[in-house]
Amino acid sequence: MADFFSSMRVSASGLDAQMKRMNTISSNIANAETTGYRRKDAEFTATPDRESFGEILQNKVDESVQGVMVTDVREDEKPQRLVYKPDDPRANADGYIEMPNVNPVKEMADMISAQRSYEANITAIGAATQMANKALELGR
Amino acid sequence: MKGMFDPTISALRQNLNLRLENQNVISANIANADTPGYKARTANFEHALRDAMDTGADIKLDTGHVGHLGSPGIEDVKADVYDDPNGVESLDGNTVDRAAEMAKMKENEILYNASIESLRKKLGMLEYGISEGGGNK
Repeated sequence: MADFFSSMRVSASGLDAQMKRMNTISSNIANAETTGYRRKDAEFTATPDRESFGEILQNKVDESVQGVMVTDVREDEKPQRLVYKPDDPRANADGYIEMPNVNPVKEMADMISAQRSYEANITAIGAATQMANKALELGR
Repeated sequence: MKGMFDPTISALRQNLNLRLENQNVISANIANADTPGYKARTANFEHALRDAMDTGADIKLDTGHVGHLGSPGIEDVKADVYDDPNGVESLDGNTVDRAAEMAKMKENEILYNASIESLRKKLGMLEYGISEGGGNK
C-alpha cells in the first residue's frame, strides 16, 4: 500500500546523500592545495525503502521504490599532480612536489550538480506534501 | 446502480491510490538520479484502470465455483511498475532523465488534484441530496 511518507522518506534520503556529497566536494576544494591529500568521492547506492523491522521480517519491502544512501567515500585513484618546485622542502630528488589530484573546475561543476539534485528532491517533497494536504481537504 | 457510492467514486479513489504510488516511484527516481547503475522505474496503470471501468462497473462475471476467475473490479487495479524502456543509459549506467521525471511528477500532481476536486464535487452532491437540498454546499 502506497503512503505519503514513503515518498517523503525516499526524498529525504536523497537530500541526505546529496548533502554528504556536497561535504566531500567542499573538502576537495578546501584541500586543493594540501600536499598528501587525495580527491574523495561519495559513492551512491540505491537501497529499498524500509519503514519498520516488521516489514523487513515479513518481506514486504517494496523493491520498486528505492531510496539512496552514501555507502562509501572513496579516494580517487588518479595520479597526483606533480609540480616542479625544487626549493620546496617537500620536493623529491628530481625537484617535484606531489599536489592533490583535485580539479577545481570539475569540483565546481559537481557542486552545481549536487545543488540541483538537492533542489529536485525538495520539489518532490513539496509535491508529496501538497498531495497530502489536498487529500486532507476532502474531510472539510 | 446499487448503493450510495457509484463506480465513479470508487474509480476516483483508486485513481488517488495509484497516483500516490506513482509519486513514490517518481521520487525514488529523482532521489537516485546520481546513483550509478540505477534504472529509472515507471508505473503504468491508466489503461488497467480504464479497462476496469469499462468492464467492472456493470457486468460482473459470475463466480459460483472456487475455480472461476472473477472479473477484476476497480479496487483490484494495480500499478504495473517496471524499468523505463525509454531510458537512455549514461556513462555510469544510470537511466534517470531528471527533466522528464520532474515533468511526470508535475503531471501526476495535477491529475491527483483533479481527482480530488472531482471527488469533492461528487461527495458534495451526495451531501446536498442527503440534506434534502438544504445543505450548505
